Amino acid sequence: MKDVISLGVLGGILTSMIRLATPFLYAAIGETFAQTSGVVNLGVDGIMLLSAYGAFYVALNTGNLWLALLTAAAIGLLMGLLMSFISVTLKAEQGISGIGLYMFGLGMSSLLFKITIGTVKTIDGFQPVRIPLLGDIPGIGPILFDHSLPVYGAFLLVPIAWWVLDKTTLGLKIKSVGQNPAAADSLGINVDRIRYFSVCLGAVLAGLAGASLSTALVDLFQDNLTAGQGFIAVALVYFGGWNPWGVMGGAFLFSIVNSIQLWMQVIGVKIPSDVAVMLPYLLTIAALMITVNRVRQPAALNKPFERGES
Amino acid sequence: MKPKIQDIKSQRIQHVEMRDIVKRFPGVLANSKVSFDVRAGEIHALLGENGAGKSTLMRQLYGLYQPDEGEIVIDGKPYVFRSPADAIRAGIGMIHQHFMLVPTLTVTQNVALGLRSSREPLLDLDKVTRRIQGLSEAYGLKVDPHAFVWQLSVGEQQRVEIMKALYRGASLIILDEPTAVLTPQEVKDLFATLRRMVQEGHSLVFISHKLHEVMDISDRVTVLRDGKVIGTRPTHKVTRGELVKMMVGRELKEPEPRSLKPGPAALKIEGLKTVGDRGTEALHGIYLEIHSGEILGLAGVSGNGQRELAECLAGMRKATAGRIAIGESDITTFTLNQRIDSGMAYIPEERMRDGAIREFSVEENIYLHDHSFAPYTHGIFLDFSQMASHAIDLVNEYALKTPSLDTPLKNLSGGNIQKLIMARELSRHPKALIAAQPTRGVDIGATEYIHQRLLAQREAGTAILLISEDLDEIRTLSDRIAIIYEGRIVGVVQRGQATIEQIGLMMAGVSMKEAMHG
Amino acid sequence: MKNKSLLIFGLLLIALLVNACGTPAAAPAAQKQIKIAVIMPSATNDMAFSQSMWSALQSVQKDMGGESALQIAYTDNLFNVPDAAAAIRDYASKGFDIVIAHGSQYGSSVQDIAPDFPNTTFAWGTDVNTFGMKNVYAYTAAAEQGGYVNGVLAAKLTKSKIIGVTGPVEVGDAKTYIDGFVQGVASVDPTIKVNKTWTGSFSDVALMTAAAKTHIQAGADILTGSSQSVVGSIGAAKDAGNVLWFGTQADQASLAPNLVVASQVYDWTAMLKDMIAKRQAGTLGGTVYTLTLSNGGLKIAYNPGYNLPADVKAAGDAAIKGIQDGSITVNP
Repeated sequence: MKDVISLGVLGGILTSMIRLATPFLYAAIGETFAQTSGVVNLGVDGIMLLSAYGAFYVALNTGNLWLALLTAAAIGLLMGLLMSFISVTLKAEQGISGIGLYMFGLGMSSLLFKITIGTVKTIDGFQPVRIPLLGDIPGIGPILFDHSLPVYGAFLLVPIAWWVLDKTTLGLKIKSVGQNPAAADSLGINVDRIRYFSVCLGAVLAGLAGASLSTALVDLFQDNLTAGQGFIAVALVYFGGWNPWGVMGGAFLFSIVNSIQLWMQVIGVKIPSDVAVMLPYLLTIAALMITVNRVRQPAALNKPFERGES
Repeated sequence: MKPKIQDIKSQRIQHVEMRDIVKRFPGVLANSKVSFDVRAGEIHALLGENGAGKSTLMRQLYGLYQPDEGEIVIDGKPYVFRSPADAIRAGIGMIHQHFMLVPTLTVTQNVALGLRSSREPLLDLDKVTRRIQGLSEAYGLKVDPHAFVWQLSVGEQQRVEIMKALYRGASLIILDEPTAVLTPQEVKDLFATLRRMVQEGHSLVFISHKLHEVMDISDRVTVLRDGKVIGTRPTHKVTRGELVKMMVGRELKEPEPRSLKPGPAALKIEGLKTVGDRGTEALHGIYLEIHSGEILGLAGVSGNGQRELAECLAGMRKATAGRIAIGESDITTFTLNQRIDSGMAYIPEERMRDGAIREFSVEENIYLHDHSFAPYTHGIFLDFSQMASHAIDLVNEYALKTPSLDTPLKNLSGGNIQKLIMARELSRHPKALIAAQPTRGVDIGATEYIHQRLLAQREAGTAILLISEDLDEIRTLSDRIAIIYEGRIVGVVQRGQATIEQIGLMMAGVSMKEAMHG
Repeated sequence: MKNKSLLIFGLLLIALLVNACGTPAAAPAAQKQIKIAVIMPSATNDMAFSQSMWSALQSVQKDMGGESALQIAYTDNLFNVPDAAAAIRDYASKGFDIVIAHGSQYGSSVQDIAPDFPNTTFAWGTDVNTFGMKNVYAYTAAAEQGGYVNGVLAAKLTKSKIIGVTGPVEVGDAKTYIDGFVQGVASVDPTIKVNKTWTGSFSDVALMTAAAKTHIQAGADILTGSSQSVVGSIGAAKDAGNVLWFGTQADQASLAPNLVVASQVYDWTAMLKDMIAKRQAGTLGGTVYTLTLSNGGLKIAYNPGYNLPADVKAAGDAAIKGIQDGSITVNP
């Protein structure tokens, strides 16, 4: 049992966490933009599924992984436009339209998979790229700096998202339309345009989340590949208090508990497997109860904006 | 480097004209051929009752709405404003009645919002802060650029709004009911700032329905009524009485309660105690008896237990001791529904929070409570035709101004919402009525109507407890006046028995004996 | 407002339609044609449980002479039991002769619906309960038998003496397969460690991948497991390059031609043919089918692409024989 606490185990847990966290990061950072602007997009999982399929299909047929990523982003953009049209232009109930989008993505990806691919196939996805020097640091080097490019991308996204939201005029506009759209409107900011932008950006990132699954992490596509990860991502946005760093913390917590529980099962810790698989959810809920911060919640979240209604 | 304000003065807008503006909303003609103009260096007041079309007119000048007909001309050049951004570019700013601030952002961030930064796409908040400080000095506007908006008082938030307009180089600034939310001291400070701005060559539009403020601050005044211009006058050449006549279209009637022998005690309050929101005792044993056919006015400075008393009577707050009775039946422990069934009616102070549902239609709000009883039900089903005909009757009887029965309540003016609540409550023919601040925030016309209704209800034999902070209202309507101070009744005087000064003394906590004879 | 609601309603309809598109329209019925409908929890191409039934139906149809003799209708991806129940009732009332509810979660639905259609044959599994009804078959696979054989082969091949098992949920044939596997390993060398993980999901491929990688990091050089999400485990084995895989439910060799040693294959064709024959003879149900190595329902498919040493294959064949003749008993 000496391997229970060895460095190798720790490394395994961290590597596993980083891989598990990657799709959550893309999807949840994307959703952070949408929600900060005041739109809850519950269709993230559907966007992930259809984009994962699209990316996989392109990769399978062309072998070009970059084209695959581009396809996923394009599918995300289209679905984002659809979501914003329904929720911003038509001002429909966001929860319902999000669920509709999810069902559309789930069904459409399944149908297209059946028609165009037919059976489970695998591709040679993005390969790990060891970063020179950093990757050679003993111990943490191989854990942190030996991953595929989409994994690095997910982690780079966090500071970029924070920088955009906190340091740029665009970020200020996004926050203001989520907190008080009437105020933003009165200052000449086009509320609808900012919300379209934020929802579409979020959807493009959800598309990349799907592509990271099918072309970098599992290198295959299958029905309901995401298994609800998009919904976890939406929850992580609340968990992270609409702050990219907080969202990253949530994604890490959820993923590390998941990888720890897998290790506990592997090394034979005597707990029922049902309890083990529950742990990430339980811990996330517990952490949410302790850290919940309603003050940061966009005040206009889930509220369509109509000029003249104050 | 920093341009002197004097230098900019000459670049300011000299003359803004709105010509023959027509604006229609579904079912309403909000502005009908309205012409209006403002010159540099003047404060032009826009006076009118709620719903007269003042805000609508100014929202068109600010690009929030587009006029259906008519044109906007600035210094001789016609302009079309498709959005506030266009208006801001033309040098127009607006301070809204509901502040347009983002509470979770700082003052500086609120000011910078939507402006081009000098280092796009990055924010340049330091630069903005410095300019805010400069403007702060120049106009005597005290604001802390680093404070979060949610930390600021209402007066401070208004200064941030003015700062936003000035920062954007607004020449003409529209102030929509700017004093409605301010304390008297804050109003004084605001007026000082406004005078300073006019000296610097700004033009100001001051929207108000408060006569004395208009007389105090404006150079010219334009009166709107029912979407039309009744007239424009230089303020120093017009009297208050003339303005009232222009606003209301007729002379106001002074309500005069006729002497009617009050009947038996209908609402009895004995030793009532309750706890306030902060957990401390708010009422320390209230004794009052209100007879049927009587209006008892409860006078007092706000926060002396009036709200708690009203809520306790209506059943929204638990009594910790004492007894409430309607006629012979003890209702102290009754639920809200049971109280209504026993003949209690309530016009709440927070009418939008406690009295009605914003999103519901006029009709739905009318039968909000009674929908589950005859004659509106057949078994478990609602009788919609019965409801609709009842609703139409009430709308006509109470002269409610609403485009239709299906209009959401939030689209009605404050006066009309209050009329609706009254209509609903009084149509049940209550034995006792609690009217808490029934005319607060309501325009003169509606106030007059509400007063007449209360008197009619008195004639009909209802016992009325009128809670108001408007001493004139209490004095004109009440048969008796009770004065509340720190959760106790200091004294009860007959109509005409005490002078306004004597009541004022009791409101300040002086005992009745001392106040009346000392 | 009304237009908006309509639009959303329309979108939802499209979504539902797309979800339902898995069901091909039924072909016109010919005389004496047998009509079979099957309801499956995952996709027909899941490389596992649902695919095993789907392939069997295809092959029975071919043997019987095609569409005119046997008409097949299916609805897949019905993990949601109420939806599945609706589909079962739907097919029964449309006059299908045999309705197969291919999932252990569908038992209560079959129990509810079967009495309403006394002339329809219902079959469900994997389970052993016919509810005492004359028109219900239950079927199961003695997955522990193939698990045992895979275990024997794995034990002979492991060098690190560590084997990883990745399962979905500890129920049904996912559990019995692994129980058999553990017994097979122990029969060769009780010192070999078999580490087990359950992900709690039949479909979460990413978590299954993480579980497999964890096993590999813990030193496993052979992996096995069940459910449609094991494609993730196989992917992890491929990434590692030198980790072998044992499949179950369907032949998984195509997913990693160099690394899959053998797969236990569920072959439902014999059972299906028997059901059809019995029905034509007037028996509608009432018995339990169990796929075993002896009745040919279970097969061990060696992957021709993997160069299996002769002595190891001999040990595997010996285990198959032992189970068939009863000299080896495997406890489910």
